[in-house]
Amino acid sequence: MSLFGGLEISASGLTAERLRMDVSAENLANAQTTRGTDGQPYRRKEVVLQETPGSFGASLSAAMGANKGTQGGGVQVAGVVQDTATPLKRVYDPGHPDADAQGYVSMPNVDTVTEMVDLISAQRAYEANVTAMQAAKQMFSRTLELLR
Amino acid sequence: MLFDTTQLALERAIEGAGKRHEALAANLANANTPGYQRVDVDFHSALTAAVGRGDEATGALNALSFAPTRDASAGATRADGSTVDVDAESAKLAANALEQQAAVQVAHARIGILKAAMGTGT
Repeated sequence: MSLFGGLEISASGLTAERLRMDVSAENLANAQTTRGTDGQPYRRKEVVLQETPGSFGASLSAAMGANKGTQGGGVQVAGVVQDTATPLKRVYDPGHPDADAQGYVSMPNVDTVTEMVDLISAQRAYEANVTAMQAAKQMFSRTLELLR
Repeated sequence: MLFDTTQLALERAIEGAGKRHEALAANLANANTPGYQRVDVDFHSALTAAVGRGDEATGALNALSFAPTRDASAGATRADGSTVDVDAESAKLAANALEQQAAVQVAHARIGILKAAMGTGT
């Protein structure tokens, strides 16, 4: 970990939470999209986060027993996956160009309430990371005061 | 010797608080990672043990290394198995930052005393 490790870790959290916000916004924007990029109704996307594995050097020294701790560092995005488990909503609308023979239209499986909750959760987590970053900044500048 | 054990202990405390901050920041960054287990750095007990070594305290303090460890005792606070409680982590983070600043302040004051003794002023 470099000199400003604390800042880098918080920055990785900011990046991850921002992506969660972006994906939630995309889901909300496409809540009524019956034609996605593959021609099928839009399916909601979800961000999968994972812990950033430690660096090679840290893992090596841990394996050699020099350092018994676990060297973690921040968070990273494992991927953005489509939610295929939640079924698409079926809405009766025979006039819709994408309606099937029975007059039903398959609408995206986006639940506005879920997305709003995800959005708030991402926003709060973002703020928590900003707070951690400010604390780190304060600590660094205080330490520099030792030189004065 | 110009710098005594207390000064060394203060320096190590500042370093330990820095490492602890990294661990707590990592917990906050992983607040939404499913199954994440929180990490922490227990630099207090390591420092206490080293300072309590008496004559060997200087060597023990120099040999200290602060590595983050998984906090296995923490129970899951969320349905996804994560053991991160954002409120508790934020509180620990703020307390840790204050502790670090207190150590810096004391170290600074001690350096000031040394400077005064050397006649270079503060």
